Amino acid sequence: MSVSEDQVAEAMYAMIKEYHGKRNLKALDLSKAMIEKFGEEECDKKFCKKAIRQLIDSGRCTYSYVGGSYIVLPPDSPDAR
Amino acid sequence: MVEKLRDTPKIDELMKGPWPSFVKEIKLSAKLSGRAGERANDLLGVLERSYNDKIGHWKHGGIVGVMGYGGGVIGRYNDLPEEFPKVAHFHTVRVNQPSGWFYKTDVLRKICDLWEKHGSGVTNMHGSTGDIILLGCATEDLEPVFADLTEMGFDLGGSGSDVRTPSACCGMARCEWACYDTMGACHDITQTFQDELHRPAFPYKYKFKFAGCPNDCVASVARSDMSIIGTWRDDIQMDAAAVSEYAQSGKFDMQADVVGRCPTGCMSWDGQKLAIDNRNCVKCMHCINAMPKALAPGRDRGATVLLGSKAPIVGGALLSSVMVPFLKMEPPYEDLKELAEAIWDLWGEHGKNRERVGEFIQRIGMSNFLEQIGLDPIPEMVIQPRTNPYIFFETEEEE
Amino acid sequence: MAVDMKKRVTDIGPPHYDKFLPPVIKKNYGKWKYHEIVKPGVLMHVAESGDKLYSVRAATPRLASIESIRMFCDIADEFCDGHLRYTSRNNVEFLITDESKIDPCVARLKKEGYPVGGMGPSITNIVHTQGWVHCHSAATDASGVVKSLMDELFPYFEEMNLPAKLRIAFACCLNMCGAVHCSDIALLGVHRRIPEIQHDQIKAQCEIPSTVAACPTGAIRTATVDGKQSVEVIEEQCMFCANCYTVCPAMTLNDPEMDGLSIWVGGKVSNARHEPMFSKLAIPYIPNEPPRWPTAVKAVKNIVETYAKNARKFERVGEWIERIGWPQFFDLTGIEFTKYHIDDFTHAGESFKRSAQLRHK
Repeated sequence: MSVSEDQVAEAMYAMIKEYHGKRNLKALDLSKAMIEKFGEEECDKKFCKKAIRQLIDSGRCTYSYVGGSYIVLPPDSPDAR
Repeated sequence: MVEKLRDTPKIDELMKGPWPSFVKEIKLSAKLSGRAGERANDLLGVLERSYNDKIGHWKHGGIVGVMGYGGGVIGRYNDLPEEFPKVAHFHTVRVNQPSGWFYKTDVLRKICDLWEKHGSGVTNMHGSTGDIILLGCATEDLEPVFADLTEMGFDLGGSGSDVRTPSACCGMARCEWACYDTMGACHDITQTFQDELHRPAFPYKYKFKFAGCPNDCVASVARSDMSIIGTWRDDIQMDAAAVSEYAQSGKFDMQADVVGRCPTGCMSWDGQKLAIDNRNCVKCMHCINAMPKALAPGRDRGATVLLGSKAPIVGGALLSSVMVPFLKMEPPYEDLKELAEAIWDLWGEHGKNRERVGEFIQRIGMSNFLEQIGLDPIPEMVIQPRTNPYIFFETEEEE
Repeated sequence: MAVDMKKRVTDIGPPHYDKFLPPVIKKNYGKWKYHEIVKPGVLMHVAESGDKLYSVRAATPRLASIESIRMFCDIADEFCDGHLRYTSRNNVEFLITDESKIDPCVARLKKEGYPVGGMGPSITNIVHTQGWVHCHSAATDASGVVKSLMDELFPYFEEMNLPAKLRIAFACCLNMCGAVHCSDIALLGVHRRIPEIQHDQIKAQCEIPSTVAACPTGAIRTATVDGKQSVEVIEEQCMFCANCYTVCPAMTLNDPEMDGLSIWVGGKVSNARHEPMFSKLAIPYIPNEPPRWPTAVKAVKNIVETYAKNARKFERVGEWIERIGWPQFFDLTGIEFTKYHIDDFTHAGESFKRSAQLRHK
């Protein structure tokens, strides 16, 4: 595979940042977008899962609950303003 | 220690009467020293306020949890934080219970100590899904609580759009009717799907409940997306002498109360001998329930797997329906896991936000669903075939 | 918050149950032969080996102080070598192997104020939700109504003289965090006022499109209020389910005068005799009457007593009503049948009577 986990995580992060304050994204919204962007061969569901975990474990993103679970920027993130 | 408990004349009315009082329980915790007592005392105050106002005073949602997990903590805030500052943040911590809810006192005491140190001293034993509920954690205490819990060998349960904490009846630990090892299966499934339990990635929640027999003591058919209900395929085991004892005991009328209540009429009683046409037995458990000493489930045991039950929100309440009529339930439960994963794959990709599996099946159609997850349609799945002629025929024949 | 992710332990799951099982269970796991209710609240399981295990069942209010859990631990240490378990209906069970310890254990529990019973043809503990104690969407309290009910139904917990077991459940809103939809008697909190929209907060707290999409009847549409983006609710289409409120906290429904509870009957989850059934509406609305909810308590007691008097042995509430017919149920209980009893949601037609098989007075 030529696409790295970091690359996928960065692309996910960019998407979360872009939609911040407009639309909450679920784990699946991110995975679907990445599979479309990089192609199933390069980036499958399992790979997306790893990238999401990287974003969450590093603290760059966090889970939020609004009648469903979403992945968002933490309130103190510089990109959240 | 709280110097004086909050004045609560309204809810004090619920201290009276023979049934154990939850108000007494909150007061017991309000008398604890330290923050736990202060929090429980403010909880008393909020509750008294609700009893006067006739509305609740809690707000929900938001970003709250332990690092890395999306499930296990439910955000709860009071809407009167100035009046009740100690419960301004009063989150729910769901702790995954051991299968079957068996405990040794040493571990329960440790949980109590933890919750005196970091929490409110108020719990639910247990929550509706089965978790140990620690009620009322401040945001800054979440990480310390989690660290202490994992140190003791416990972990958080599910919440939000994830696998919710699976639960099981006591099964083989204390029941002769258990048709498979419910506690073993529950523990295995819980451990296998830790990632799915802690990191929400589904359209909505997904519950497993493991019931050892068709009596369904964990209400799996009504309360779990995947209901695994123990059953058997061969003949009911019978001890004829014990049947006679029951017949003579005067506890019930064998003809009217046992034979007459068999849903398929597959039993007969001639005053001496009980005969069962086992081919027509639907494993309802009635006769076995009535005579536990005389009758028992057969020896070829396993489970029926049903899918899709839920409470009303959003599209109306559903009971689970049959997917697999009989499945041998042996570790490592590969068939069950594969089925669950195939369902998650499909529902995960096409399910709408807050759409449970049961609702998803109704929207896309059961036959379509079966085809996608690779199950063959069989008559056990329906009460009857369709009565309307609006069939979506596939017009293009495959080669 | 600074958290050292490397040192953290995660995803260990619950401890293995094996650690908590008493020796008699470990020895006889999967080898139990039969069981008997020795007396109300005391169950005896006999293993193929001949070993006996007694379980003493006591009610808890579900909401438990760590102080009373510690007290249960003291009791379990004294009588059960430190072994106890909880049931799916919030009862606690003390696991005893020494027969001589049963009566002292029962006596001790009763002395501490925790009644022993809830077995066989009885009313066991009510499964319930958080209510005003800790829930955002509660249309009524849960623990308080349950306490008031069980104070009145108490003899049915300690005795075993009903036709069959009778399961009561309580949920404080339509989310139903409890098997309310399949219980012999169910109490369900209901809202009856359309959401009050906090127009100044909605943009900050909620996502407008998902709020609109949350409504199962399509009663919510986008609107501009005072120049700000918000939503409006079409009153005639709202059925007060509160799904929008869960998705959007700025759509509050709680109302002191309009909220209350409803009563449902005839559901079951077990497969014994009749297949599992949903609970059906008996009483559409009873106002909230804290602290003791007298009207609700009286209504439930009436249903229990009518059932106890009229049902046959082994007949659950739903089976009894199915045999006698719904018109007779309303007749016998004196409950009024109203337009609200007739379904008008998605699968409404399924509950219409489509035959001439009727009893006539």
